[in-house]
Amino acid sequence: MQAKPTVRLALAPSRQQQGFLRRLRRASPLGLLFATAVTIFYTVVFIIPFGTAIWLSFQNWDFLTKPRFVGLRNFAHALSDAYFWQALKTTILFSVVEISLGVALALLLALMLSQVRGVTQNVFLSLYYLPVITPTVVTVYLWSWLYRPTGGAFNTFLSAIGLPPQPFLASPSQALWCITAMVIWANVGGASVILLAGMNDVPESLYEAARLDGAGFWQMFFRITLPMIRPVLVYQVVVSVIGTVQMFDPFFLMPGPGFSTRTLALYTYQLGFQALNLGYGAAVSLIIFVLLLFATVFQLQRWQVRWEH
Amino acid sequence: MVNSLRRLYRSGRWIEWFIRILLALGSFAVFYPFLWLIFSSFKTGADIVRIPVTLLPEKWTLSAYRMVMDPNRANLPRAYWNSTLVTVGTVITILFTSSLGGFVFARLQFPGRNLLFYLILSTTMVPFLTLLIPLYIVMKQLHLLNTLWGLWVPSIFSSFGIFLCRQFIYGIPAELYDAAKIDGSGDFGIFRNIILPLTRPVLSALAIFTFLGTFNAYLWPLVVLNDENKLTLPLIISRMANRFGGTDYQAVMAGSVLVSIPPLVVFLIFQRNFVRGIALTGLKG
Repeated sequence: MQAKPTVRLALAPSRQQQGFLRRLRRASPLGLLFATAVTIFYTVVFIIPFGTAIWLSFQNWDFLTKPRFVGLRNFAHALSDAYFWQALKTTILFSVVEISLGVALALLLALMLSQVRGVTQNVFLSLYYLPVITPTVVTVYLWSWLYRPTGGAFNTFLSAIGLPPQPFLASPSQALWCITAMVIWANVGGASVILLAGMNDVPESLYEAARLDGAGFWQMFFRITLPMIRPVLVYQVVVSVIGTVQMFDPFFLMPGPGFSTRTLALYTYQLGFQALNLGYGAAVSLIIFVLLLFATVFQLQRWQVRWEH
Repeated sequence: MVNSLRRLYRSGRWIEWFIRILLALGSFAVFYPFLWLIFSSFKTGADIVRIPVTLLPEKWTLSAYRMVMDPNRANLPRAYWNSTLVTVGTVITILFTSSLGGFVFARLQFPGRNLLFYLILSTTMVPFLTLLIPLYIVMKQLHLLNTLWGLWVPSIFSSFGIFLCRQFIYGIPAELYDAAKIDGSGDFGIFRNIILPLTRPVLSALAIFTFLGTFNAYLWPLVVLNDENKLTLPLIISRMANRFGGTDYQAVMAGSVLVSIPPLVVFLIFQRNFVRGIALTGLKG
């Protein structure tokens, strides 16, 4: 009785008969070891923190006294908190402008780079990539120096061509756009390298066929290049949304006056580590999570891109 | 001159030259801020605040560099050591765990394999900001705050790295694994002798991105580290900006130049792999 199923299993192992325990016995030891390590790791740095974030968002806690359960009050507070709405508006403004200008510039740059080949392309590519590899702190302190209202490089340039000097970072209405310009400068090389890689993947035969049919440069760009690199373009936009909404360093290191450049990311940090309002900070950070999730799903649905693994 | 220009126009190659000139102008605009960074770091304190400002120093001096290398004023050498330790440690760890993880999830059999893989993948949907405050609390409980270990521990495994390597290892014929298995090799032996050497292209791309990400990281080190002698390079630069920013901005510039050198060197060495790496990693994601 005992031996019979074993023999049958050896001849024709059917999935139904392999119980969990049996599969465990046949499993690769290395696989199990890795699975255990990875499970412990993600429990400590992901599941527990994520659970804590959700738990914290229902509490009122200042790090010192005992946490107090407040129900949905933190989320309700966000709805009536003018600072929250201001931060949300700043985040969306920054994100939309940075991405539309940044992607358009990157597309133009990639298109130009695709027209030169070999060493020339490599040299230009490296030059445009330099800001991407520069540490953000360096970028920030360099640009705040250039933006100085008196004696800054930009104002020196403006006065040289006869324009009035600008306050730049010192003005609540200009500071956000100064930061946006800096971020575009820092990111455009990275985006164009990705788009260029996409353009290089377009089969040359398509262009040859189009050329035989007498298509011009721009016609080929709009009819062949753009549709072919669409998945790359969508990927770039989706990743940029996630990146810009979470961006922290420039807003922390070169803030404009008052709250003019305070984004949701900076607000979360300040609530958690400066105002010690941990419950509310966690609630705001969860709102960012949900907004990003919706934005990502919406974009993927809207532009109908399927990710293949 | 006119003749050769006419010939250029007729051949249609003028578009190419026009694009080259545009690219050159653009790259100058991109590079221009760096000129200010480099030249300002060689100025004196009086020279840098002089109005009207000039790009080039009036008198070249290394005094700003001496200022930031002076351990009594800005602990830059110490921060160099800290950053090297964290960056090298993190890169090696992530390369190992990602390639092993890619192999495990692509080729080995164990119950719950796919479920676990998709769970790991789904963690990338949660922004780091959401985890920031609770992760700080977890690190506090583990007594890892204000230690370099606190920077290393959250990046022992990388979801992105595991995903990337799994995709790549799927592309390596499974027959290779089966043949080695029949020859009696153990799983780890197969990983080390067969899979790891073949994964080199994707690992070099992963190494570059991990290096840049870790070396340039600001937010998490800012939260974890506190002691002056534990700080990494980006943090020491902002301490320096607070200390010297008012009167000695040339010191901030000198520090910034020194901090930009390691990523630049890595970039120049692996420059060729960059574009290939991006084609490999960025698109197929």
